[in-house]
Amino acid sequence: MRSETGFDPALYDRFPTKEPRPEGEEEELRRIWCKPKGWEYLTVVNNNYVGIYYLGTAFLFFLMAGVLALLMRAQLAAPMLEILPQATYNQVFTMHGTVMMFLFAVPAVEAAGVLLLPQMLAARDLPFPRLSAYAFWAYAVGGLCFFASIFVGLAPDGGWFMYPPLTSKAYSPGINTDFWLLGIGFIEISAIAGAIEIIVGVLRTRAPGMSLDKMPIFAWAMLVFAVMIVIAFPSIILGTLLLEIERAFNWPFFDAARGGDPLLWQHLFWFFGHPEVYIIFLPAAGMMSMIVATVAKTELVGYRLIVLAMLATGFISFGVWAHHMFTTGMPPMTTGFFSAASMAVSLPAGLQVFSWIATLAIGQRSFNAPGLFVVGSIVIFVTGGLTGVMVAMVPFDWQAHDSYFIVAHLHYVLIGGMVFPLFAAFYYWMPMVSRRALSERLAKWVFALMFAGMNIAFLPMHLAGLQGMPRRVYTYLPGQGFELPNLVSTIGAFMLGLGVLLFLIDLARNFRLAPGGGNAGNVYDGATLEWLPSELYSARSIPVVRSREPLRDDPRLAGDVAKGRHFLPGSATGHRETIVTSPLLAEPQYLQIMPGPSAWPFAAAVFTAGFFLALTVQAYSFAWVSAILAVVSILRWLWETDRPVRDEEVDIGAGIMVPTYVTGPASHGWWTMVILLVVMAMIFIMALFSLAFLASNQPAFWAPPPSMAAGLPIYFLYGAAFLAALAARPLLKRDARWPVGLFFASAFAAGSALWLDWTGWSAAGLAPQASGQGAVIAALQALQAFAVGTGLLMAAYCAARVARGLMTQPRSNTVDLAMLFLCYTAAQGLTGALFGRAIGMT
Amino acid sequence: MRTWAILLGGLLVWAGHFFALYGIGEFAGESAASRGAVLLLTASGLAADAVLAWRLLPLSRAGEFMRWRARVALGGLALSALAIVWQALPALIG
Ligand code: HEM
Repeated sequence: MRSETGFDPALYDRFPTKEPRPEGEEEELRRIWCKPKGWEYLTVVNNNYVGIYYLGTAFLFFLMAGVLALLMRAQLAAPMLEILPQATYNQVFTMHGTVMMFLFAVPAVEAAGVLLLPQMLAARDLPFPRLSAYAFWAYAVGGLCFFASIFVGLAPDGGWFMYPPLTSKAYSPGINTDFWLLGIGFIEISAIAGAIEIIVGVLRTRAPGMSLDKMPIFAWAMLVFAVMIVIAFPSIILGTLLLEIERAFNWPFFDAARGGDPLLWQHLFWFFGHPEVYIIFLPAAGMMSMIVATVAKTELVGYRLIVLAMLATGFISFGVWAHHMFTTGMPPMTTGFFSAASMAVSLPAGLQVFSWIATLAIGQRSFNAPGLFVVGSIVIFVTGGLTGVMVAMVPFDWQAHDSYFIVAHLHYVLIGGMVFPLFAAFYYWMPMVSRRALSERLAKWVFALMFAGMNIAFLPMHLAGLQGMPRRVYTYLPGQGFELPNLVSTIGAFMLGLGVLLFLIDLARNFRLAPGGGNAGNVYDGATLEWLPSELYSARSIPVVRSREPLRDDPRLAGDVAKGRHFLPGSATGHRETIVTSPLLAEPQYLQIMPGPSAWPFAAAVFTAGFFLALTVQAYSFAWVSAILAVVSILRWLWETDRPVRDEEVDIGAGIMVPTYVTGPASHGWWTMVILLVVMAMIFIMALFSLAFLASNQPAFWAPPPSMAAGLPIYFLYGAAFLAALAARPLLKRDARWPVGLFFASAFAAGSALWLDWTGWSAAGLAPQASGQGAVIAALQALQAFAVGTGLLMAAYCAARVARGLMTQPRSNTVDLAMLFLCYTAAQGLTGALFGRAIGMT
Repeated sequence: MRTWAILLGGLLVWAGHFFALYGIGEFAGESAASRGAVLLLTASGLAADAVLAWRLLPLSRAGEFMRWRARVALGGLALSALAIVWQALPALIG
């Protein structure tokens, strides 16, 4: 493949350009990408700021969850202590696990992506800066409110995986569980927003010439990570929604006595929960691969194999979810399949570890701060991986399940696979964002305390577990042999805490934020593009990439880029902008004009958080007001985007002309909508799976569905809704007014089909409170109603833009997106109507 | 799309095989017929991997990117074949 888009690669030879750059070009870039002042810090959308906010908040949650861990260890230091009462202990371990997994680990790696990717890909920013800002604020506000529940004794206490029936209304009547369900459901939405941004960013905003085989390994990791989020997180969103509905409205999804099944929760949770471990691990592994190569001063061994390993991990980790359910009495054959896949997934993880070891072995090892954490991570992660293979064996797992052996295993994996790599990354990339690097001398102490502390804390837990100590107990009796391992564990935990404290002291001494330039620079001699001299607009010009390690292979590159001798040396349109490139070979396609700072993403996030919080404390009127305000804020923020552009084509350097606006499948907006629809489809598919699961496990409760033939008018209406939406796009190209009416027609047809469908089920005697089948069918209808409502809102939004003359003929991304959404809505409704009738048909 | 299909071909075959096996275990239960279906699926999965590999070989490898794509795709097919056999074993010998 010489070219992917018709772009002539010979044009790259025009760079670096030779002519002098015009005066004032750099000043204009500085003016456009200016620094915020005062309250504008709340409205910034640049990745340099949002990334730092994000990472800082995630680290704050790590510290807070760490304090909870120390409290638990203090309580368990000796038998029969009363530092934490039993009920408080339950809240503390639940919050510790939940905060570490949902508020620290995933957001921290996502934040690293937001901070590093644009620099690494030499883009000016990620393609949807306002979406990043929204994702961050939603997470920060929602997360802090969620954490605050512990101070008022309302924190959830059902463990981080919240199994019903323990978490059903009957056994957990307070609002503690609701805090978890609504809080986590909400935070997952923010994670998905970030993931969409990352996928489009990695695939469409790479520097020209950076084909997939030249992409930094961290970008590969973030790509697989984000796709995994899009596939996995819908399952937990659906799960939390169903459990919350069961608690609020008594719809028995998980109540075995009424045709539900508590095991359904476990499937929904772990279909998300196990990939989650790899979702955390992969970006950390990506960081490791970047750091290992720099630390060893050589090229990464087996780049190709690592990419393959990441892709394989992304797939195989979806085949292991039920290994958390070996003790639930699944059919032996199914158990065997999951056991095999669980062992198979260690293969790609092993490939990466061997590659790191090989890179260190052939390179010049230097045990500087990142180097130490990298080596520490390998040792700890491999230990956790080995105990993982042990528990993948079913007979062993029956013995170790729910014991402290599992607590030891999961911490080895998580701390080795994510915390140590993150600390390596802190040391490694700190000079990119701070005026001073962190202290190498203190780092040795931090590492020694953390490494020794980690092993002293968690190694004895294997022993305690094998001796029979169950997890999640607030104390234990003397004389069972648990005293010594627990005391040692507690000492180790405090050593680890001391290491982190020392790190904080180092941060306080040396970390001085430098987003607008003046950073400490490339102290470790990294070879990838994030080490180009940069300011708030990223690098001065966007380089042509000719190898995987451009700074090592072309020592003059940094100088040329800083002098504006590559792509986009100034601003082509007077706005914030970046080059959108093709997904495989990264050929320049068009110039994206990016939105600047805005208070609306912040407002939208605060009101969305307000909506979820108000629902939790059952302040329903406040919840609805917040919801309306959130929708208004989002529409207001969108209103400013997708505006007509003055110049149709611009020069992006060396006389290469590209358009400033494209529509259809080539545009990054189209990609985003498609990914959003994949998220919606996954939620819907998991709901269909729930129906099939209950039909197969609770046949005694199954009522005959309405006949297929009776559904004909419904199928017809959905078909009409699909066609109406599809027809609107070409017609709107000719006349930018009346065809918007087709969007309304599509939404109304879909709404009518939904109404007919629901009346059909009601006539068949199905009620949501009566059985699991009724509950899931009603949930499917509710999902469809949400889609139809959103479609209607989109139609109204398009009509408002037409009325204001903002729909530019003959093309508009807003029209494309509304069309895609409404077509999807019709397809989803049709699938649901057919599937519901097909399941349990006699 | 074509490049993604080539890169991910083996892994997609693996995913199809795994979820079909899970479907059999979860919804059809354990029986001689189920084992027969597992055997059939496994043979089809391996055949699909072989066909993909066969079609991959004559594809152009001109240029760095194409060579890279072919090698990653072949690795994916090999891994897929291995994992398919491995995950079918519990049903076939268990
Ligand atoms: C900083 C050092 C840490 C210490 C001392 C620590 C300690 C503990 C303790 C004592 C428990 C409770 C065991 C029980 O009662 O069953 C626990 C549970 C847990 N920890 Fe940690 N932990 C640490 C770091 C982490 C990290 C970094 C993560 C994740 C990234 C994590 C994730 C979890 C999870 C998921 C649970 C299970 C909670 C549950 O049972 O619901 N921990 N940890």
